[in-house]
Amino acid sequence: MTRRSTASGWRASWSSSPARPMTPADRLKRQVLRGAVRDNVETIRGLPPPSLRASTRLRRGALQATLLVALPTLGLLAYNPLSGSAPDRAAVLATAPSVLTFRAPKAIVPVTASLTVKKIVLDPGHGGNDSGARARGVWENEITLAIARDLRGLLKRAQYDVAMTRDADTFVSLRQRAQIANVERADLFVSIHVNSVPSQECHAVETYYLGPADDPRAEQLAGNENHESGYQLADFRRLLEGVYVNVRQAESRKLAQAVQQELVQVLGDTNPAIRDKGVRSAPFLVLVATESPGILAEVSCLSNDEEANRLAEPAYRQRIARALFHGIHEYAEARNRVATLGQGPGSQ
Amino acid sequence: MTKKTDVLHVGIDLGTSRSSISASNGGRHVIESYVGWPVDMVARRLVKKPILFGREALDSRPMLDLRRPLERGLIKEGSERDELAVRELLRHLISLAGGRDGQPIRAVVGVPAEALRVSRQNLRSAVKGVADGLMIVSEPFAVSYGMDALLHTMIVDIGAGTTDFCVMRGRYPTEEDQRTLTNAGDSVDDQLMSLVRAKHPDAQFSIYMVREWKEKWSFVGEAPAPVVVSVQKAARATPIDITSEMRRACESLVAPVTETMADLLARVEPEYQERVRHNIILAGGGSQIPGLATAMERALGEYGGGAVRVVEDPVFAGSNGSLAIALDASEGDWESLAG
Repeated sequence: MTRRSTASGWRASWSSSPARPMTPADRLKRQVLRGAVRDNVETIRGLPPPSLRASTRLRRGALQATLLVALPTLGLLAYNPLSGSAPDRAAVLATAPSVLTFRAPKAIVPVTASLTVKKIVLDPGHGGNDSGARARGVWENEITLAIARDLRGLLKRAQYDVAMTRDADTFVSLRQRAQIANVERADLFVSIHVNSVPSQECHAVETYYLGPADDPRAEQLAGNENHESGYQLADFRRLLEGVYVNVRQAESRKLAQAVQQELVQVLGDTNPAIRDKGVRSAPFLVLVATESPGILAEVSCLSNDEEANRLAEPAYRQRIARALFHGIHEYAEARNRVATLGQGPGSQ
Repeated sequence: MTKKTDVLHVGIDLGTSRSSISASNGGRHVIESYVGWPVDMVARRLVKKPILFGREALDSRPMLDLRRPLERGLIKEGSERDELAVRELLRHLISLAGGRDGQPIRAVVGVPAEALRVSRQNLRSAVKGVADGLMIVSEPFAVSYGMDALLHTMIVDIGAGTTDFCVMRGRYPTEEDQRTLTNAGDSVDDQLMSLVRAKHPDAQFSIYMVREWKEKWSFVGEAPAPVVVSVQKAARATPIDITSEMRRACESLVAPVTETMADLLARVEPEYQERVRHNIILAGGGSQIPGLATAMERALGEYGGGAVRVVEDPVFAGSNGSLAIALDASEGDWESLAG
């Protein structure tokens, strides 16, 4: 069924309009229109949008050249986020995954300098075509995004700089998520997920940091969360090498402990059945490739009907966000206190 | 060189929920953005068409592979069927415009900003071949162009799948000038459905019914009248009052939209922020929710006040803007877009 508008024909008489001198408004329109045409022409040519390339050019001029490392087997570009040359976040998202790769993350130098927490990158799990777990009309990709947005608000109010790996229901590969965290020069990386297990009785809350899986279930969970990664098998070993003996792991564990404690305490008030599954380690790819201390929090269990109902409530999601905030803030405060004294917590 | 008068120029608003076309021959049409193919030979014999569009497709949905190709404002990556649905939808819209046989067609297609950002190449390949010249722009940009609101203006386009924000600063908008939220018409539907289901667990109704309720009786603030709808309870038509649920669902848009407006405003040069704040244009189907613009103005009070106006013709504001772009583009522009 179609509807025919009664509106008068748009510029029906344009062809008979007499020529008139160009006004400033006409010039403005012409300029804007030229931008639209250019954008389309460059899409036809397979180039990213002009705005992205322009900002990349600016950064290229301002910063030292991106470190290029030959990877003959992959034939790809490599980029070292610690080299001081960072493409911007939009460019990371706009670039096809096949032309982005990494070098093994570098160890954080044990903290004798003042390494404080300022920038936090939040990573709402899943998104777009990858909707994650689903139960009772509640989707994991939506829950994680809602919690991340609430958490962002809380962190911003506490004067942290916050960036998100996604701020809409869009697909972002694990590779891109890690790249975003590195490009944003995150001090902390917090990935938010919701558990789903075969048992309906699950009330578990657990927080992971990078390390070898400490039980088969953790390994299976890491496997589930690692799909759609954008990495190849050949990349995996390189990623893992040099990571484990790293201050980053110790810092990540401390952050995980602070967050887990708050999650259990705050959510336990609402739901006494919550089980504290503790702090675990597992090789989540999104944690492997980030440069900063990072955690992956499984903040609830969607396969439990009661939890699914609670997660549909904004108030409950806000509670989760508050718990995450308190955990992050507590860790950051402790680190900032030690940094002020000239001693990193890593040296404790 | 093609003479401009020989060409049929069309502007298309390819929306998640509805799609409209405005043509240089004066034609204006709107259809619901559904495309459906009969699932088997029996269905094909019953519907008597190889492909159905809009309301006709929706009404025959049990017999169709029904697609809403820009669900959540995006063309689904890797889904050939959805790409085909986009192409067929555009072909259908252009056929409605009624060009002469063999008349060259130049089309400007406005799409949700997120679709353009995330899958511009997919879109381009999906719509290739439907017209002799083709330009794709973001929907809020098309609206602003059609309204000559290209400077110190913010367009908030509340569609079905997404709400798109765009600050116009006298240039073609970049990534930094735009935002997209998934709080939009569909999220209001989902929320309304959950709220009504929670209050009336024994009631039977579908998301399509909820969508119709919202389109007829949505509001923010004071209810113009009680909202009473009919649902099935134990196979019996039963009236239920959903006034407060309707209010809550519609008001769920206000906070996220206002916060995003403020976030985007904060990135405008400080000397122009006040001007932009007082020049906010609400477009898209969501702009028609009674009381929404007023609620947003009230919420903007926290940021120093602002003025929100609603486009006069939300159904065709996007396609009219796209048509304006098509008509203003020069012959050289169109030649550069060939291919």
